[in-house]
Amino acid sequence: MPYDKDSDERLVARYRETKDEAAFAELVRRYRGPVFRLAVSMLGQAFEADAEDVAQDVLVRVHDALPTFRGDARFGTWVYRIAFNHALNLKARARFRVPHVADAALDAAPSADRGPHEVLHDEQRRRAVQACIDELPEVYQSALRLHYWLGTSIGDIAAMLDVPENTVKSYLHRARRLLSALLAERGFDAR
Amino acid sequence: MHDDDEMDRLLTSALAARVPELSPAFDAAVMLRVRPRRLKGGRRAILVAYAIGAAVATAWLLRGLDPALVAAGLAVGLPTVAGAGAYVRRLVQ
Repeated sequence: MPYDKDSDERLVARYRETKDEAAFAELVRRYRGPVFRLAVSMLGQAFEADAEDVAQDVLVRVHDALPTFRGDARFGTWVYRIAFNHALNLKARARFRVPHVADAALDAAPSADRGPHEVLHDEQRRRAVQACIDELPEVYQSALRLHYWLGTSIGDIAAMLDVPENTVKSYLHRARRLLSALLAERGFDAR
Repeated sequence: MHDDDEMDRLLTSALAARVPELSPAFDAAVMLRVRPRRLKGGRRAILVAYAIGAAVATAWLLRGLDPALVAAGLAVGLPTVAGAGAYVRRLVQ
């Protein structure tokens, strides 16, 4: 990779000046993963099939908006903001569609060493957790899914959501408390 | 704190699922979408010349035909031309 040592801002400047495809390709290589994870975390497991399209759209939008990037914020922050807003818009439109259920979820077999009632209760509680997460504010949903599902570090979540690490920890703490209350309303506890 | 730990464990198990991954063709797909699709000057001139020639030939072929037939031809042809024109404009811009 010819530009893997260059800063984001340097790559942006090079692409603007020379339209060097390799410079933009390096930016795509750097941001495809985080943008995809952010999109997945916003859309949730039911709409994960749409996340790749969202990530593609975001990077194309970033490309088209590069002439307007003034460098007031870090390039990554700017990209994540575009990704967050785009995923939010798509989610608002997708709310009325039938969610996609992954084949893996349909194939999941109950464990042999647990009774059917236990399996049923766990599955009902798992669904209740997913439904309650969907009721939380968007940043809490995103932080929870990034942390618990996608295994993203607190530092990376902070960069994606453009907040300090302590704020991410606070988001997670408040999200767990809200979730606990929502689950209690539905007759489930955390145990 | 105890409740928080319980919720932590519950979330870890409830959200345990395959972590989705990008397809290997992702970068190529993005680069294809951002690559400018512009016609060079020579090809653009050929396209314009063809459009003018086609319009003149069509007018010449349609002269003396039944007006109802001409109207039917225009009803079919104009939307097709408009659609093709919009597509070509996207290429030329």
